[in-house]
Amino acid sequence: MTETDVAIIGGGINGGSTGLELAKNGLNVTIIDKNFICRGASGVNAGTLTMHMTRAQLIPYAKKGWELWMNTSEWLSKEIDVEKKNGLCLAFTEDEEKLLIERSKIRKEYGADISIISIKEAQRIDPNINSSIKCAAFCEMDGYVSANQTGNAYSKALKENKVKILENYDVSKIDYHKNKYVIIFKNGEKLTASSIILATGVNLEKTLKLLEINIKIKCLPQQLIVSERMPKIMDTVITVANGKLSLKQFKNGTVLIGGGWPGIGNVEDNYTETKPENLIGNMMLACHAIPRLKSSRVARVWLGLEAETDDAMPIIGEIPNYENAYIIGSIHSGYTSGPYMGKLLAEKILGKDIDLSLFDIKRFL
Amino acid sequence: MINNRKYDVIVIGAGPSGVSSAINCAKKGLKVLIVDLNSNSGGQIYRAPPKTYKSISKKLEENVIQNKLSDEIKKFKIETAYNHTVWQVSPGFKVNAFNETSTIQWQSKSLIIATGTYEKIIPFEGWTIPGVIGLAACTVILKAHHFIPSKKIVLAGNGPLLMLVAYYVIQFGGKVDAIIDTSSKIDWIKSTLSLITNPKNFRDGIKWIFKIFLKRIPFYSNSTVEKAFEVDGGINVKIRNLKNGKAKNIISETIAIGHGLIPSTDITRLLRAEHIYDEQKGGWIAKVDRFLRSSISGVYIAGDGAGISGALAATDKGLLASSALLYDEKFISQTEFDHNTYKILKKLDKYEVFAKAIFKLNSTPKKLIESINNGTVICRCEDITKSEILRAVDQGAKDINQIKSWTRLGMGPCQGRTCHYATSKIVAEYLNCEIDNLGYLTGRSPIRPVPLDRVLGDFDYEKITKVEAAPL
Repeated sequence: MTETDVAIIGGGINGGSTGLELAKNGLNVTIIDKNFICRGASGVNAGTLTMHMTRAQLIPYAKKGWELWMNTSEWLSKEIDVEKKNGLCLAFTEDEEKLLIERSKIRKEYGADISIISIKEAQRIDPNINSSIKCAAFCEMDGYVSANQTGNAYSKALKENKVKILENYDVSKIDYHKNKYVIIFKNGEKLTASSIILATGVNLEKTLKLLEINIKIKCLPQQLIVSERMPKIMDTVITVANGKLSLKQFKNGTVLIGGGWPGIGNVEDNYTETKPENLIGNMMLACHAIPRLKSSRVARVWLGLEAETDDAMPIIGEIPNYENAYIIGSIHSGYTSGPYMGKLLAEKILGKDIDLSLFDIKRFL
Repeated sequence: MINNRKYDVIVIGAGPSGVSSAINCAKKGLKVLIVDLNSNSGGQIYRAPPKTYKSISKKLEENVIQNKLSDEIKKFKIETAYNHTVWQVSPGFKVNAFNETSTIQWQSKSLIIATGTYEKIIPFEGWTIPGVIGLAACTVILKAHHFIPSKKIVLAGNGPLLMLVAYYVIQFGGKVDAIIDTSSKIDWIKSTLSLITNPKNFRDGIKWIFKIFLKRIPFYSNSTVEKAFEVDGGINVKIRNLKNGKAKNIISETIAIGHGLIPSTDITRLLRAEHIYDEQKGGWIAKVDRFLRSSISGVYIAGDGAGISGALAATDKGLLASSALLYDEKFISQTEFDHNTYKILKKLDKYEVFAKAIFKLNSTPKKLIESINNGTVICRCEDITKSEILRAVDQGAKDINQIKSWTRLGMGPCQGRTCHYATSKIVAEYLNCEIDNLGYLTGRSPIRPVPLDRVLGDFDYEKITKVEAAPL
C-alpha cells in the first residue's frame, strides 16, 4: 500500500492549485482523478477572467486570481495562453442600463475598478460593438485563458513539483482509522494519507457521501459555442448587464460565445446534450453585441458541468468531525479565482491564519 | 425554427442504402423522411448533376442509376428534405438541419443513419496548398459535373479509385501525368482472385486499367507524394519510393490524392453510441449487431457507416437495417424478418470477400505513416503539425481527446473528420500501441459548421429568449 502526506481527490484547478502550493512547501502530495487532470469544467470552461460576471462577494478573491493568471509563467507553466484585455459590459435597454449601473456599483464597493461609460467611450475602446447600446461598464482588469490548455499546464507544473498524479483512478471508499485515511479505488488499489482534500467539482455531493456527509450540489450543464477562425472582429471581452454573455476572440481567430446558457446534462452518467433553443438565444445575444459575428459559422458546441451550492457561494475549508480533511469547490466563476482559492486553502493547511469563514461548509450541515 | 414534424423514421443520407431502407419502410406504411445535404438522391457514388446543368448530354452509368433511385422515391411518395445539412441529432430523436435560408427540427421514433463514408487522406508536406484535392472529391467533379479539375493531373494514393479517376480524366480529355500508388503490383495481382467475385466491378476495373495501359501513363508503385509546392505553371510533385527510397520530381497542375474511405461516425458519436476500431472496416465504426442495430435502441446504421463494404452492398445493407427496424417496431413478423434477412446476409457475405480485397489495396502502409515529415500539418483546420502532436504525447497526453484539448487538433470546422485517422496512426506508431487505446474524438455538435446568419435570420433584440440573470 502506498502512502502520501496529502491525497487530493479531484484534479481540476481547485485541487491542482492547492496541491501545487502544498508541494512547493515540501509536502508529499498525490492527486487523484477519475478521468484526466483538468478534463472536467477546468478544461472546458470559457476561460473568461472578468470582474463583470463575478459575484460581488468574491471580487477580492477574483482580483487575486486574475493577478495569478497574468503571471502563470512564475507559478504554473508557460504552456498556457493568457491574454489581458479590456472588459466591456453592455446594456441594450433602459432596464438593463439600470441593472448594469446598480450591479457595477456593488461590485465596485467590493473592490472592482469598474466605471460606467458612454456609448462614445465604449466605441473608442472597441469600435466593433453594437452602436445601439445605452451605456457600458468598463474594467481594465479582464482577459481570458485558453482553458483547453489547463490540463497540460497543470500536469506539467505538478510533475515538476513532484506531485504524484493518479489518472483514471476512481475512488470507491474512504476509511479512517489510526489518524490515517485509507482511500480504496475501484481497481482494488489503496492509498494511505494523513490528510485528504476533496476537490471533485460537480461530483462533490457524491464524494462527500463517502464521508457520510449529505450536501446538495447542483449540476449546471453550461453550453459553449465557438466559431470558425475569422479575421479580427473584436478586441475586448464583452459581457452583458444580466451576466448571460461572455464573448471574446482568441489569437487564432476563433470567437468563443459563453455565458452559462443551460444545456441538458447530468453528473451521474457524465452526460451532456445541447439545447438548440438556448444555443440560438446565446448566439443571438452574441451577434447583437458584435454584429460582424453574424457572418461567421459555428464550428463547435460543447458543454461543461458546473457545480453550484444552494447559495451559489463556494465551500472551502475544514470538514467538521474529521481530522485533517478539507474541501474546496463550487466557486462561482471559479476559473478566475480558483488558483487563489487553492493557494489560500493550502496556506491554511500549512498553518497560516487564513479566514475562510465565508465559505464554511457548516452553513449547509 | 422548430417545425416539430413527426415521423416514424428519419433516414439520414439519400445514397443507395438510405433510399433502399426508406423504401422498405414506406412499403410497410411507415411515415418516412429522407434527408440529404445534396440536391438529390444518389449519395457519393451515384451523385446527381446539379439541377442547373440542363444539358448534360451523355449520361454516365452512375447518372442512370441515380435517376432510378429518384423515381423510386417518388413512386413510394417518400417525403424528402434535400439541400438540408444535419447539424445536430439528439436522443428522442430530434434531428436539426439547415438549408439555404433557415433551420428546421424534425422528430422521429427511429433513425436510420446512412451517411456513408468520407475520404481518407494521409497528409504530406504541401497537401494544403491550392491544387491538391481529394481523389474521391475528384470523382465528384468528374461524375456529377462532367469536367476535369485541370488539363494535367497527378493521381496519388491507393485503391481502385486511382484507376477509375484516371479512366474518367482520359475520357473527358485530360492528361494524367502520373499515377502514384502506395501498393505494389503484386498487391494488385494478389487481389484479383477476390475481386473477381464481383464480376461487374471486376469488368469495370479491367476496362479502366486497359485504358491507362493504352495511354502509357507513368505508374509509380510502392510510392507516395512526399512533398508538393507551387512553381511557375503548376505544382512540383516530389515522388518517393517507399521501398528503395528513390525520389523523383515532376511538374503537374493538380494532385488528386486519396487513401481510401473512412466510415462517417459523426452522428453515432454525437449520440454516444458504442464504437469499435476495425482497421479492415475503415477505422472507428459504430458497433452494430448482424442486422445493423447500433448500441442505441432505435438507431440503425445502413450502408458503409458501420464498416465499409462498398456501393453494391449498400442497397442490401439498407434492406437489412430497415428490416431490423420493421421487426423491432412490430411491422413484420419473425417469419417475414427471418425470410427477408436470410438471403441478404448470404449476399453480404459474398460482398465481404470483395470488400476485403479492396481494403487490402487501400491499406495504410506503416512506411507511409513514417514518411510524414515532422513539420507536416496534420490538422488543417487549426494548423497543427505532426511535431506538435508528438510534443503533446511527450508531455503526457494519453488519448486522442487529451491531444485535442492540449493542441486544438480536431477543434476546427471539420471536427477532426480529416485528421482523426492519420493522428491515431501517427500516435499509435509513435507509442507502439493499439489505436483502440487512444480512443476516438468525442462527438460534438454541430457536425457541420452552421452559418450563424442562416440559423438566426433577422431578429429583434426583444425576440431573444429571456433567461434568468446570473446571481450578483
